[in-house]
Amino acid sequence: MSVVSCENLSKAYNNFSAVKNLSFDLGENKITGLIGRNGAGKTTLLKLIAGFLRPTSGAVKVFSQNPFDNITVSSNIIFIDDNMNFPVSLTLSEILDSAGMFYKNWDDKFARKLISYFSLDLSQSHFGLSKGMKSTFNVIIGIATRCPLTLFDEPTTGMDSAVRKDFYRALLKDYVEHPRTFILSSHLLNEIDDILEDVLLIKDGTKALHLPVLDLKEYAIGLRGSQDVLKDFSSKDIIHEESFGSDSSYIVVKNQFSQTKLEQLKASGVSMTSVASDDLCNYLTAKTKGGIDDVFNRE
Amino acid sequence: MNLNTNSLKPIYVQIAEWLEAEILNANLKEEERIYSQYQLADMFNINPATAAKGLNILADNNIVYKKRGLGMFVSTNARNLILEDRKNQVLKQMVSDLVLEADRLEVDEKQLIGMIRQRIKHSRRNNNECCKL
Repeated sequence: MSVVSCENLSKAYNNFSAVKNLSFDLGENKITGLIGRNGAGKTTLLKLIAGFLRPTSGAVKVFSQNPFDNITVSSNIIFIDDNMNFPVSLTLSEILDSAGMFYKNWDDKFARKLISYFSLDLSQSHFGLSKGMKSTFNVIIGIATRCPLTLFDEPTTGMDSAVRKDFYRALLKDYVEHPRTFILSSHLLNEIDDILEDVLLIKDGTKALHLPVLDLKEYAIGLRGSQDVLKDFSSKDIIHEESFGSDSSYIVVKNQFSQTKLEQLKASGVSMTSVASDDLCNYLTAKTKGGIDDVFNRE
Repeated sequence: MNLNTNSLKPIYVQIAEWLEAEILNANLKEEERIYSQYQLADMFNINPATAAKGLNILADNNIVYKKRGLGMFVSTNARNLILEDRKNQVLKQMVSDLVLEADRLEVDEKQLIGMIRQRIKHSRRNNNECCKL
């Protein structure tokens, strides 16, 4: 069963299309990473799934229902981002109490254990927390609600690296104990790719890739060697290229070689590296194949 | 153990190799239950689907087998299978890399074999000293 299903989904703000003709299905009980550049449409997509926005055209279904203005969908999903507003007059403890009234799977004991692990003061108001602490509190709400569908939009903004690592581990451990569906949007794919099952990469509001993260890691291969040897690759196969030294190049190409071809390349002095999924996503969503270096290239 | 996330080797392959090493050094014994995908996910901080893929490599090579509803168990001849497989795959690959590098460095056959002999002598001697202690 797919938890989220989009068909030709589009959303435009005035003249700007943030999401264009997106179609995909997310299977049950998977952690999917939603990856894309700034302004790629990640937040708009999540808000469409959460039912905060109405599509301009096309359809989004969550648990087979239209999420907009839908109480069944709302009570089964939670959307966490850094703009979450809680009533200023409530303390953190009171916010936890009210979360328990809304969400039937809420684990209050677990939430309070996390709060104390991260040294948050339950008598404080959400308003008074630092940026990183706000994010920490918000993700605790996100995990402890144990909603069948949990959406995290850049959840780690402002967190220090120790807290981020703890959050990813807490998320993974709770997921193993209570399998459910997560969508996690992030810029920091290299930090999260180990805990993901699938990656949905979007570029300018459209789908660039949707595949298991294990396939993403083998999607491309980095080749480093002399330009003479590497010039045989046609430019349509090259995802990224850099030149360095007097006659050397580094190119990233789709990983579709036979073992014999790999042996040949190796024999001609080409060294092979894996391409970090983070880098690959950046290359796939870049405007030019040479990246920022093209700006400085005076030729 | 730490996973090398920058390695050309996919993480699930590293998981499979780690499990094989655990079998070779008898931390996991034949006919014993092997870690579940969820235990591995927790141990290595990875998605359970990745861990499952590592376990499946072992299952495909008959190093472990499934008992319905009970999980996966180490096969009786797991150790031999791993040793054979490593000889055929890993060692052969290392030898091929070695020969390639020797060519590049203009080391001829005689020199290379000499180096290997010397190394073997050296490690035998070390082993013997270990035994005396």
